[in-house]
Amino acid sequence: MAQPTMAIPGQLLGPASKYQPGPGTHIHEANLYSSLLGTVNVTQPPKAPAPVKRLNKIVPVAAPTPAELPTISVSFSAKSKREVLPEVNNIVLCRVLRITPRQAVVAILICGETVLEAEWQGLIRVQDVRATEKDRVKIYESFRPGDIVRAEVISLGDQANYYLSTAKNELGVIMATSEAGNTMIPISWKEYRDPETGISELRKVAKPY
Amino acid sequence: METERPFVLPGDSIDPSLIPVPRQQDAQTQNSKKQAVLRLGPGLRHMAATGAIVPTVPGQLVVDGRKRSMWVESKGGRYVASVGDVVIGQVQRSAGGDLFYVNLSPYTSNAILPHLAFEGASKKTRPQLAPGALVYARVSLANRHMDPELECVSPATGKADGLGPLVGGTVFDVSLGLARRLLMARSREEGQVAVLDFLGDEGLAFETAIGRNGKVWVRSDSIKTMIAVGRALQKTDEDDLSVDDQRKMVKWLIKSMR
Repeated sequence: MAQPTMAIPGQLLGPASKYQPGPGTHIHEANLYSSLLGTVNVTQPPKAPAPVKRLNKIVPVAAPTPAELPTISVSFSAKSKREVLPEVNNIVLCRVLRITPRQAVVAILICGETVLEAEWQGLIRVQDVRATEKDRVKIYESFRPGDIVRAEVISLGDQANYYLSTAKNELGVIMATSEAGNTMIPISWKEYRDPETGISELRKVAKPY
Repeated sequence: METERPFVLPGDSIDPSLIPVPRQQDAQTQNSKKQAVLRLGPGLRHMAATGAIVPTVPGQLVVDGRKRSMWVESKGGRYVASVGDVVIGQVQRSAGGDLFYVNLSPYTSNAILPHLAFEGASKKTRPQLAPGALVYARVSLANRHMDPELECVSPATGKADGLGPLVGGTVFDVSLGLARRLLMARSREEGQVAVLDFLGDEGLAFETAIGRNGKVWVRSDSIKTMIAVGRALQKTDEDDLSVDDQRKMVKWLIKSMR
C-alpha cells in the first residue's frame, strides 16, 4: 500500500514485514504506526551486493533480512532533526544566573556542539566545583553571575534542574566580565585579570584546549 | 588636623590640592609602606580607567593627612553590608537545620548566621535563639551578588569578643553616620560625639552595643536611664549637635527627668 505523506499519531504506516521502524514510529501487533504528527520519510537501505548468479545451482531465496528493509520515520520539523537533550557525561556550556553560598544556578545553553532550543536550568553544587578541598570552596571565588562555564552533566536531577560539575581541569569558567565591565583574560587556574584596569578577580578557570 | 571639610555631591571632582601626597623621604623609610598608600574610606571610589577619585555619596569630604586617608562623612541612607562591620540584627527564624536568618535593615533580604559561628558551638550544642531575639554579630561575607553572612565569633581566635545574643534592653534607631562616629576609636576628637561619655559622667549606669546598621542597643536596670540614653542619642542625631551642645543637652535632659 502506498504510505501516506503526512501522518497523525496512531496512523497505520505499513506492516513490519515491509518496513523497518525509525524515529517517530512504533510497532503494534506487527504493524507500524506513527507516534508523532509530521511528514513521513522512507529511507532505502544501502543495497547489498546481488548474489552471484550461478547457472547450475538452485539457491533458495531467503526472506529479506531486517538490514535490507527500507526505514520509515516520522518527523515534525523540515530538517528532520531530533530535539537534543543533555545526557549524563555530556559537556555543556552554560551561563551563571545567580550564586548562593551552597550552589550556583546556571542556564544550560549549548550541549556538545548543538545550541539548545530551550534553556534548561542546572545546578552546580559547592562540592562539585573542584576535585580537591571540596569543603573549603567559596562560591564567590569560583563563579559570578554572568560568567560562561563549561561543565559536565553528572545527573539528570529532578523536575527543575540538571546537576552539573566542574571538578576537572578543563571544566570551569571560560569567559568572564570584570566589575568594570571589560572581558577578562585568564592568568592561572584561579584568576582572571582585567586588561584595562589590571585588577584580578578570582574564578575557577577552565584550562584552555 | 581640622582643615576645611568641603561639601561634595556624588560625581563631583575633588580639588587635587586636597589629596594628601606622600612626602619624598617618606617613600624611602620602612614604615612608610603604609604611609605612601592613599587609603579611601566609605563614600569614595577610585575610577581605575581615568585615575580619578570620585565621591559616591553626598556629604563632607574629610582628609586625614597624618594617616593619608580620605572619606566622605554622610548622614544616613540604607545600610549596605561590608565585611568587618559589627551589626545588630534580629533573628527571623532558624532554617535548614544549621542557619539563622537575621534581619539587618527593613525591606532588605535577610543575612545568614550559621549555628556553628558562635563561641563553643558544636553539632551537639547549638545556640538557642528564638525568633525576635537580638544578636550582635560581625559581617563575614558581603558582596552585591549574595546575601550577607554573619558570624558571632572571631575567625582567628575562636572567641566571641563581645559578640553574641543581646539579652534584655532595648534598641534605638540612629542614622548610619552617627553609628559610624560612635564606633570610632576616638569618637570625641574625630567623630565629634561624646554623648555617651557625658551621660556616664552624670551618674547613669548603662551598657550599650552599637551596630553599624544604625541600631544602638541599651540596657540598664532603670527604665528611665534607658529612655534617657535613647533620647539623648536621637537628639544628637536630629539636631546635629556639636560636642559642647551635646554636653548642654545631656544636662538639660537629666534635669528634666528628675
